[in-house]
Amino acid sequence: MGLESNLKEGSLVTARLEDLVNWARRNSTWPLLFGLACCAMEMIAAGTARHDIARYGSELFRATPRQADLIIVSGRVSNKMAPVIRRLHDQMLEPKWVIAMGICASAGGPFNNYAIVQGVDKIIPVDVYVPGCPPRPEALLYGMELLRQKQTGEHFSKYVFTPEQPGAPASAEQALSGLAPRIG
Amino acid sequence: MPLLNVSPVDRLYETLPNLDDIGIPARAPQPDGETEDTQAIAAAFGDRILAAGLQHDLPFVHVAPADLRDLVTWLRDGELAYTTLIDVTSVDLSELPNPDPDVRFQTVYLLRSLSRHKALFIVCPLPGGDDAEAPSLAKQFPGAIWPEREVMDLMGIHFADHPDPRRILMPTAWPNHPLRKDVPLGGEDVPFSLTWDHPEFDGLGDQILDPESLPPDLPPGMNRQNMILNMGPHHPSTHGVLRLVVELDGERVVNVDPDLGYLHSGFEKTGEHRRYKDFVYYTDRMDYLSAMNNNLGYVLAVEGMLDLEIPARAQAIRVIMSEMQRIASHLFWLSTHVLDISGNGMSLLMYATRERERILDLFEMVCGARLTTSYIRIGGVWKDLPEAFLGALSEFCDLFPGRIDEYRDLVKDSPIWRTRLEGVGMVSREDALAMGLTGPMLRGSGVDWDLRRDQPYSGYEQYEFDVPTSDRGDGFGRYEIRMEEMRQSIRIIRQALDRLPDGLYRSDDRKVNPPPRTELDVSMESLIHHFKLFTEGFKVPPGMYYHGIEASKGELGFFIYSDGSGKPYRLHVRGPSFNNLYAISGMSRGLMLSDIITNIGSIDIVLGEVDR
Repeated sequence: MGLESNLKEGSLVTARLEDLVNWARRNSTWPLLFGLACCAMEMIAAGTARHDIARYGSELFRATPRQADLIIVSGRVSNKMAPVIRRLHDQMLEPKWVIAMGICASAGGPFNNYAIVQGVDKIIPVDVYVPGCPPRPEALLYGMELLRQKQTGEHFSKYVFTPEQPGAPASAEQALSGLAPRIG
Repeated sequence: MPLLNVSPVDRLYETLPNLDDIGIPARAPQPDGETEDTQAIAAAFGDRILAAGLQHDLPFVHVAPADLRDLVTWLRDGELAYTTLIDVTSVDLSELPNPDPDVRFQTVYLLRSLSRHKALFIVCPLPGGDDAEAPSLAKQFPGAIWPEREVMDLMGIHFADHPDPRRILMPTAWPNHPLRKDVPLGGEDVPFSLTWDHPEFDGLGDQILDPESLPPDLPPGMNRQNMILNMGPHHPSTHGVLRLVVELDGERVVNVDPDLGYLHSGFEKTGEHRRYKDFVYYTDRMDYLSAMNNNLGYVLAVEGMLDLEIPARAQAIRVIMSEMQRIASHLFWLSTHVLDISGNGMSLLMYATRERERILDLFEMVCGARLTTSYIRIGGVWKDLPEAFLGALSEFCDLFPGRIDEYRDLVKDSPIWRTRLEGVGMVSREDALAMGLTGPMLRGSGVDWDLRRDQPYSGYEQYEFDVPTSDRGDGFGRYEIRMEEMRQSIRIIRQALDRLPDGLYRSDDRKVNPPPRTELDVSMESLIHHFKLFTEGFKVPPGMYYHGIEASKGELGFFIYSDGSGKPYRLHVRGPSFNNLYAISGMSRGLMLSDIITNIGSIDIVLGEVDR
């Protein structure tokens, strides 16, 4: 923000905590290292030197969902993959965002058939849809710009979890019971 | 044949012979004529051969299931030396005219003799109606195990004595066999006008199977005494959504069992519902790192059935595109492979994508797309090369060989690179042939075979190039081969540029190509022809056809069963990654866990093609 060069030593800056946190979050949104199909190639291209996603603080693709803020669903979602994506999304910590990259992830694309889920929004909530088949890296960067606009206006109250909310677990035991690992 | 000649610019409106009669749809005709090989087979087996001969100039032999194994063993060990099984597929005959309720399915095998440069198709009609059973060829060719599992999964044909009769692509609890003709294409209407409050969303996710449907059973051959480790489908180094079930003794690999199908997109079933020209766009999305090669493989198969003459300029453009795509694909392989295993980390990824982006820019110049090009169309290519393209490409050709040296210098002396590749992922020559491996996997085991040279297509016989091979059989040998292939591709591109012929970039055969726009204003017949071409599509004579090309990862083949209509009755894709990936189990046994990553990279898979 250029603050460090303009402020005298020992100066104080006041701001709303929400604004500061949103500012930090939108400039260091770490995506999940997760590629599905053709769009994943363009996602990788967005990460390399020419398009350089690092300009927006999103170059650190994390391999574990526990450390990722953003899942870019880059490609078609098959019926076999759908539960896996749902699980990955469940494993990410709040706050988390989803970009549906390309027409397959948005609405099934050309694959209107038995194998492909007609849009990833059937299994996880989507924040930004990026059209294209596949979208160019620039289009993905624009989608991330839209996501940043969305992140700018977020409120803490969104993440306060009250038992009255629909779908919220009634007790800690119930919340944990759903997390038992399924090991075959 | 009378031709209707009504065009103001004196062009022939040719339709294929006898295609407008009521005999469509039709069965593939019985093969006729003979070749040396079918003569030899008929002489050796006599009445046990149901039919033998040529169809669309390809040799076909029909044999009953009881005699299949004898025939295949004789072909493999005898003088004819059909040493490799390239593909296994199947056709559901139930919607063809005159269906025989007892023979609903037939399996089709493609054998190849590398020493004699010949291919042979074996058709095996299976009695038994819906519960047909075919003999498994797993004992004769281990490479048949996965293709047979695929037929079993998608078509529901049992294979007697199959060592591993599990589903391979679909989830285990899937209710049907999708490629059967009585199973619908599926899918759903896209609800553009609905809001989230609409009752349709109450049943949201019903299409999706619960994760519990995956059984906890161990894959056959695995032992619970050892550690069972699950890698994928979300794993940074499996190059996509591949899942590997790994059995470990300490850190040593005892067994690997790949679980496929996490990117299964139903290409083959979709192809049966699309007109021939409309499937070109789907081929882009199969092996999304070599769209041009996929386009080429598909259009050559359709053109082969149509006996279409392709203008020389179009052929040269196709060769240029195919070789550029090979370089782009190998560059991506190199950068991800190095990223996986070498100490150089990100740097080579950045360097190699720099050149790859230049190739993608060139693709963009000719067709407007970077990855999903759809540039090579039935009859030629979409548009002629733009003027600036040739200069830009030759500039790239001057620059690129030096860049290959740069990449080589980055890795060749790296002790990590050498230690992790040398002697890792060994495939012997015999295994490579038996498993039906193709491409750099085959050449890396010392087999000198390249379809571009040995069964040339699209004018490859005019170009001089070397086929690099290596006797090492390990990951390092395959690395060297791919690096050399990039140089040879540049050599081919240079030759093609030097003698790029003038002329049509697209066949002017009106069977497949529409009349020019200007003609539509003055000729009613042109308008009708245009309309019919884009609503019904062109028709393809009945029969079976296969065409294989040397894509960047190996032999990419398209098998088409045409019933004479405007859509393929059965479309099968022989993806090189699918067959090559079968080798991972044998390559990784006895190595360390981290070597599995090396082997995945060394095989060079693209899951879009493996799962289709």
